[in-house]
Amino acid sequence: MTAILRVDNLSRRFGSLWALNDVSFSVERGELLGLIGPNGAGKSTLYNLIAGALSPTGGEIVFDGRPVTHMKSYQIARIGIARTFQIPKPYKQLSVVENVMLTAFQHEKSVRRARALAAETLSDVGLSNYIDVPVATLTVGLLKRLEVARALAMRPKLVLFDEIMAGLTPAEVGTMTGFVSSLPARGITVIWVEHVLYAIMKSASRIMVLNRGELIASGAPAAVVRNPAVVKAYLGEEMSLA
Amino acid sequence: MRESLSARSFLVLPQRGGRVSIFEIAIFAGCFVFATVGLSQNFQDIAVLSFLWAGLALAWNIAGGFAGLISFGHAAFFGIGAYTSTILFLHFGLSPWVGIWCGGLLTAGFGALLAIICARLRGPFFILSTLAAAEVVRIAALNWASLTGGPEGLSIPPAAGMANMVFMSKTAYVIMMSVFLVAVYAVTKSLEGSRYGYYLYSVRDDVDAASAAGVNPSLVRTSAMALSAGLTGIGGSLFAQYFLYLDPTFIISPDLSFQFALLAAVGGLGTAIGPVLGSFLITPMSELLRSYLGYQVAGLHLVIYSALLIVVVLYFPGGIAGALTRIAGGRAKL
Repeated sequence: MTAILRVDNLSRRFGSLWALNDVSFSVERGELLGLIGPNGAGKSTLYNLIAGALSPTGGEIVFDGRPVTHMKSYQIARIGIARTFQIPKPYKQLSVVENVMLTAFQHEKSVRRARALAAETLSDVGLSNYIDVPVATLTVGLLKRLEVARALAMRPKLVLFDEIMAGLTPAEVGTMTGFVSSLPARGITVIWVEHVLYAIMKSASRIMVLNRGELIASGAPAAVVRNPAVVKAYLGEEMSLA
Repeated sequence: MRESLSARSFLVLPQRGGRVSIFEIAIFAGCFVFATVGLSQNFQDIAVLSFLWAGLALAWNIAGGFAGLISFGHAAFFGIGAYTSTILFLHFGLSPWVGIWCGGLLTAGFGALLAIICARLRGPFFILSTLAAAEVVRIAALNWASLTGGPEGLSIPPAAGMANMVFMSKTAYVIMMSVFLVAVYAVTKSLEGSRYGYYLYSVRDDVDAASAAGVNPSLVRTSAMALSAGLTGIGGSLFAQYFLYLDPTFIISPDLSFQFALLAAVGGLGTAIGPVLGSFLITPMSELLRSYLGYQVAGLHLVIYSALLIVVVLYFPGGIAGALTRIAGGRAKL
């Protein structure tokens, strides 16, 4: 396997705060990489840097063999990196299928074919009953699924999922996990930030842990959650009562 | 995945775009025949303005309704278009038939420039910057007397003739403005439901999401503003050929900018038929109120006009087009 994404010494500073400090890792083609960490660990900053919504203070990002560090977000999207937003960002005055068509246009220039691709992607995430519904009437759980559909309709090489399970019922988490797990087989590499840990533990081939802007662990899911540094980051240090 | 359908039934949106409907053809043809055959010369003035303002509201709607670039500065484009064709005619003897295209191209350039400078501002800040930009143009026109005639304005000699684009008959102007309206309508209709049209909607509704979908927001905004401004400039030239007199205080006034926005908003933003309905209803109403009431109780026509606008804004948020769509059960294809 070859690396589809390589991140070298990536840093981003907001004022005096290093939101991301000297982070390096690489993602193999066809991998399903889980990314976890407490709130404020720098996960969203890392996503924004990869997706081109932010520019790094230092470091380099290489995607598919080419440097993409200072590309704008629409250029990043065009070369095959899709993302979802943690807080869904629908086009409020459009219908569900129209929301997905806008990313489908990356692939299908004709409106008719883009609509067909969008409808197909919507049925993949279980939204086929909502195709012509105004997006403004959707619940948060449905909007999360819409985010997933929007990202996938682009037929990306790499997709960045940001907490797509929030607001889903346990049954829905099960089906969504199965669906996400099937993506690498379809040629889509996945990086997945998720707070619903059991979903990601089951399906990720590797988990990376960020804490306070630094990468503190990386490895097989079972090993990572027993890593003392990870336990400390989530739960704090063991206290002696003596 | 498992389909989950909540018990509550959802409104279903009609698909956008598509063919021109019988309803649209009926409105245009009916109004055109009525204006050319059924009206006396006095009332034909109202028809000329209704058609022209409808075209201009549509042009404004490309930026304001489709791309979300709410501009209160379109009178500047209107004025630049009007002055360009008039100055080219008066100083260089260039026929307005050529001049209107020069005006259109020049204002498209100004529109692009305005978008490049101002479109990074969001919401009310963008609106205020367009208002300010138009004031700069108005004040420049007032002071650059050697070119624009300053506050005294410019007059086009009323020498009727095809080459001068000046006509004796009002019917000729009705035809001229109808052609303009139908042309801008065709442009808008081709945007509605097209890929580029969706790009405009996406930058209007969420720039970050649009950018993540591979849409270049600055290119989309700049081109939308250029198109909208260019069409507005052409409308300005046509107005000059009809009114035969230009002065900066009227032709680049904020009132005029507000009027374009208002007609589009009352009719229905982001739709093709909305601004046309807005102008066909509001323009005759405002002109008739002014001619019947304006001289009896000063200002009464403005009170009634404003009251009607408030009713529309409060009770018909989607404009007239939105209300019609709702009445038809959410399935009407306007």
